[in-house]
Amino acid sequence: MLNMKLKYSRQGAYTEERKSRTEKKPIIKAPQSKTMIYPMNMHIGAPAEPIIEVGDDVNMGQLIAEKKGFVSANIYSSVSGTVEVIQEMMTMHGPHLAIVIKNDFKDTPAPALTSTQEDLTSQDKLSLIEQAGIAGMGGATFPTHVKLSPPKGKSIDTLIINGAECETYSTADHRLMIESAEEIVAGIKELLTLFPIKQTYIAIETNVHDSVAALKHAIGDDKRIQIKELETIYPQGAEKRLIKTLVNREVPSGGLPLDVHTIVANVSTVRAVYLAIQKGLPLMDRVTTVTGEPIKDPQNFRVRIGTPVQVLIDACGGFVEKTGKMLHGGPMMGKPITSGQVPITKGTSVISFLPKEEVKVDERTPCIKCAECLNVCPVNLQPVLISNAYEQGDIDAAERLGAMDCIDCGNCSYICPANIPLLDNIRQAKTEIKARKEQS
Amino acid sequence: MMSLQDMKLNVRASPHLKSHRKTDWMMKQVIIALLLPLMAAIYFFGIKSLGLVLVGVASSVLFEYSFQKFRDQPVRINDYSAVITGMLIGLSVPVTAPYWTIIIGSFFAIVIIKQLPGGIGRNMFNPAVGARVMLKVFFSPWITNWVTPGTDAVSTATPLESIGHFSTTISKDVPGLFELFLGVNLGGNIGETSKLIIILAFIYLVVRGVINMKIPLLYVGTVAVISSIYGGFSFDYMMTHVLSGTLIFAAVFMATDYTSGALTPDGKTIFAICAGFLTIAIRLIFNFPGGVGFAILIMNALSPVIDKYLAPRIYGHKKRPKVALVK
Repeated sequence: MLNMKLKYSRQGAYTEERKSRTEKKPIIKAPQSKTMIYPMNMHIGAPAEPIIEVGDDVNMGQLIAEKKGFVSANIYSSVSGTVEVIQEMMTMHGPHLAIVIKNDFKDTPAPALTSTQEDLTSQDKLSLIEQAGIAGMGGATFPTHVKLSPPKGKSIDTLIINGAECETYSTADHRLMIESAEEIVAGIKELLTLFPIKQTYIAIETNVHDSVAALKHAIGDDKRIQIKELETIYPQGAEKRLIKTLVNREVPSGGLPLDVHTIVANVSTVRAVYLAIQKGLPLMDRVTTVTGEPIKDPQNFRVRIGTPVQVLIDACGGFVEKTGKMLHGGPMMGKPITSGQVPITKGTSVISFLPKEEVKVDERTPCIKCAECLNVCPVNLQPVLISNAYEQGDIDAAERLGAMDCIDCGNCSYICPANIPLLDNIRQAKTEIKARKEQS
Repeated sequence: MMSLQDMKLNVRASPHLKSHRKTDWMMKQVIIALLLPLMAAIYFFGIKSLGLVLVGVASSVLFEYSFQKFRDQPVRINDYSAVITGMLIGLSVPVTAPYWTIIIGSFFAIVIIKQLPGGIGRNMFNPAVGARVMLKVFFSPWITNWVTPGTDAVSTATPLESIGHFSTTISKDVPGLFELFLGVNLGGNIGETSKLIIILAFIYLVVRGVINMKIPLLYVGTVAVISSIYGGFSFDYMMTHVLSGTLIFAAVFMATDYTSGALTPDGKTIFAICAGFLTIAIRLIFNFPGGVGFAILIMNALSPVIDKYLAPRIYGHKKRPKVALVK
């Protein structure tokens, strides 16, 4: 049903060839940066707190900032070197407190998270995931140990591994599934030991069919894990949609996948789980695609977290044409950034560069009630009505129309033939609804 | 080498891509689809058909331009919507219609129905349908002079006059089903006689994703089902209703109008089914062949209420949201 409805969103600029720039390129190691930047807010939840001081020597894999509270995540140094400064630095979310480390290029290792014991209990494993500072690497950066800790009375029976990388340019997960299928499957098997899970799906889109063979090989004859190929349609990989499509459950409004007995984890996250439990390694690197028409030689990089974007741009050979926008993320949900000093973080699956001509904003024209925004909304909102309510100052109506249920996918603004800034208005409405709730 | 500093990066929030399907693109698709019945009209009724459509387009665009200039509003004739209205009006009259009826129709459609409520997107009624019904009511003698194609044009009764008024049988004057389908030797409004051509236009619009196919299908389907039951499951009777008059033309080009139709998915379903009920009811009870026009206008007026009660259920919610009446 939904798949039918979202067909339109593939038309126009939304085509697959944008992935073709990097989908066949093997993951390569990104060059090391002299300066590494670790923002304290590289996950959702409370920012981490630095536990080192300026001038301290740190080793690769050493804890440098500690999670604060339950919904937060530890941060480790991905190089060895010296703490240069702890101050506000430019991040994808604007300026934020960050630890800056001067790389000594020696990669002196810190001790592993734990001596690899034979018999880890579920509790040990969960604690390793928590210690390792793993946060959702698909981009949402929700701390993984929180996802894996259902409140008392909530059972988990379904595990969905999200390989449905639906953003236009991203190929990081695609390449990872081809090149690191064994590690992903090992991570899935670790997760399966934590809960009495009845059904496990690896969800991918049909356009990454070439990763199926590698995954199948890695799964072997383990009957518990099934691969599901879904239609290539944006936003197929949105967590709530994925749950609906695969197991026909709807996460209640304002709730979490746990509420419908489901855990959704990105393939990169699952690999990090494997590294934490079986190798005792904290989260220090990830795969990031750096791509877009203006980039000379787009790549999939295995990059250390904390590496400034500029290092990757240089590693791609720079630009062949003027860039209109640099995005932390893809063109549908990515955050525009302007500084080459913004670092790669736990959730950076892609840095996209858009050509100048794609940045121009067309003149807004009157709404013709074509209903395209309703047709493409993955959570069945009526975007134009929320937008109208906001523009008329009726925040109550915007709330009743479900503004808070919007998942920010951008389909409505993308499709609107009248260039109405639907998502901008819905975001504003959300902000006002939240502000009002906090007041009362 | 180019560096980031030289580039003046734009920081507008996501999404960063836009579909190329703009309002004018969508309208152009409808115009392309309307060229099919226009060509059929020229083939069946001669070159005056082209004249009728050109007068319709020129007058509609001119009225829109003048109104917007006069009211000091931004001129929006570039969105091509007035072209569609003009084409529809031109195709909605018999070849005998005087040109001035088209101009009156365009004035009514563009100025009264479309621009006075606020222009594109703000009109409650479909402009072309409004013009048709108005012409039918006030200028009947000039625009209901049906002629069959050919040099020795003779006035004929419309098939609908033979099957209306509670009649459950078809009189002998009614053309055969195949003639009704192809539009051969058939009198009527110039754009509406060949159902085959209209179906081709329908397929084009559906493939382009410009119209929602369920509206024409449910609309015509409802007429088929009701007439079938009413006519004692006579296939000929049912098909005569389906293929006669404006039904298929209006189902494809008028009931699918965005602005005057329902916004919500379920609303579109109800809109189409109710339009079908009303059409057949008006044809049978009032013996009034203009059933299609009135049916669509009535549903246009009801669509805000339909949308209010049929707002889609939001993901993760149990009930439909409570929505204020919008229009």
